[in-house]
Amino acid sequence: MNAALVFARKEAVEIVRTWRIWVLPAIILFFAITAPLLARFTPEIVGAVAGDQLGGISLPPGTSLDAYGQWIKNLSQITLFALIIIYGGIISSETSSGTAILVLTKPMSRVAFVVVKAVIHSLFLAVLALVGALVAWALTAAVFGDAPAGPVWSSTLVWLVLGVFSIALMTFFSALIPSAAGAAGAGMGAFVLLAIAALWKPLSDHSPAGLAGQAAALAAGKAVPDLLWPVVVSLGAAVAFVAAAALLFRRREL
Amino acid sequence: MSAAIRATGLTKSYGSKLVLDSLDLEVDEGSIFGFLGPNGAGKTTTLRLTTGLARATSGSIEVLGHNAQAPGNDVRSAIGFLPDVPAFYEWMTAPEFLFFVGGLFGMARTTLQERSDMLLDLAGLTGVTTRIGGYSRGMKQRLGIAQALINAPRLLLLDEPTSALDPMGRKDVLDMVASLRGRTTVFFSTHILSDVERVCDTVAILDKGCLVAHAPIDELKARYGKEKVVVEVTDHADDLAAAFAQRAWATAVARGALGSIEITVTDLVAARHDIPAIVAARGSGLARLEAGEISLEEVFVELVGGER
Repeated sequence: MNAALVFARKEAVEIVRTWRIWVLPAIILFFAITAPLLARFTPEIVGAVAGDQLGGISLPPGTSLDAYGQWIKNLSQITLFALIIIYGGIISSETSSGTAILVLTKPMSRVAFVVVKAVIHSLFLAVLALVGALVAWALTAAVFGDAPAGPVWSSTLVWLVLGVFSIALMTFFSALIPSAAGAAGAGMGAFVLLAIAALWKPLSDHSPAGLAGQAAALAAGKAVPDLLWPVVVSLGAAVAFVAAAALLFRRREL
Repeated sequence: MSAAIRATGLTKSYGSKLVLDSLDLEVDEGSIFGFLGPNGAGKTTTLRLTTGLARATSGSIEVLGHNAQAPGNDVRSAIGFLPDVPAFYEWMTAPEFLFFVGGLFGMARTTLQERSDMLLDLAGLTGVTTRIGGYSRGMKQRLGIAQALINAPRLLLLDEPTSALDPMGRKDVLDMVASLRGRTTVFFSTHILSDVERVCDTVAILDKGCLVAHAPIDELKARYGKEKVVVEVTDHADDLAAAFAQRAWATAVARGALGSIEITVTDLVAARHDIPAIVAARGSGLARLEAGEISLEEVFVELVGGER
């Protein structure tokens, strides 16, 4: 079997047999389960907590689109930050622990080492996002009795592009910065910059900066006509970041 | 005989710190080569350059005829490497790790199963079902040696392979290294002199990044070691030690174990001729008179220990 495939199998088994199988799945499933429930019961909770303070204002009942909005908002904020922290060490954890040395003195190229990691963890995220969307969709149907498929799947897929872009970005930072915490800090900084960039519409419409907003719009059932550009640019940028990470890592002393 | 490793003017520096200074080294294929040096001499850096993990500042290094600074799969397929502190995926078991590294070499499953069983037995890890995370340092070191041998390498690079092992583990590893003689080139870095003396046929001594000696062990001892005579007498050992010290052929006299007298000599023939007469003249008896073996340790201390 090809060395890259053997290494890919190792990465996949490592996910299943270490903390990785618990942390990200738990976060995503938690949001998938709580989003429909919060959307359904928020008006009652707010009414009960506020009592007479709302002065007769009644909150409208939640809808399935509110549930999808909650799901995407949590993915775009907390889950994205969790991704940045978890993948700060995607490359550097192996170099700092020394495990990379035993692998890379075998017939396994450094480029394959980096690319395999980025691909396997992107696939892992895709599985989690799709399972999470399925759970959110099913629970929304159970709670509201009405759950249109289009908004939840399209918004989740657009968020997944942002998630894959994030993993690629963290792969680059982790190849560049030897410390996992340092790479996570750089990742946080990059996402603050993306959030600021999203305020400028041309950039928002043509880059990953606008993906979170576009995913939220899709979850709300709105039409997003020019989705192709940010998706293509984000995926292209993800490929470029992984390629840059591979080139950096190839030149790196271990 | 072709060279398994050939370094020419190999230099490595980190900023202003020179770690390896124009190293010229040739390791013959099939030899068991001891790479000696005190801590910080540059041994691990040399191995990192040999395996392509680090880049030389200047000079070149070839491994099995290929440039080690741009190693392709053909070089990596032919080497086995044990780093000084081997690190493993701690969630794996030892058989899983050997299957994983064997898979990286593209080994067939049946071959891998046979080789893995044999190496686990060699490493004393047969039947150990716990994850590697629970292993002692010695167990990890033995697994590290097993993984370095999984592909039956042409060149085995070992960085301090016995440093974490107990005496039995050390003996097993040294026996294993000795058993590879003639079939695999073993390049063996260590600061444990007795290990080198026991299994290596050629040795290089590195000090502060410079090669200070490079020769077959016997030649090295002959070149650098002074001759030594060990004498055991029945009586008056202290008086006799003082008398030997006054002779022109004696450069140093020391008391050894069990009351013996160790004399470093410049003229062995004269010493052998005079000693029995001196002993008889003092009214003592000669229990033993033999030329003492110069140890590699004495050569090493003479070469690198003077300024320490």
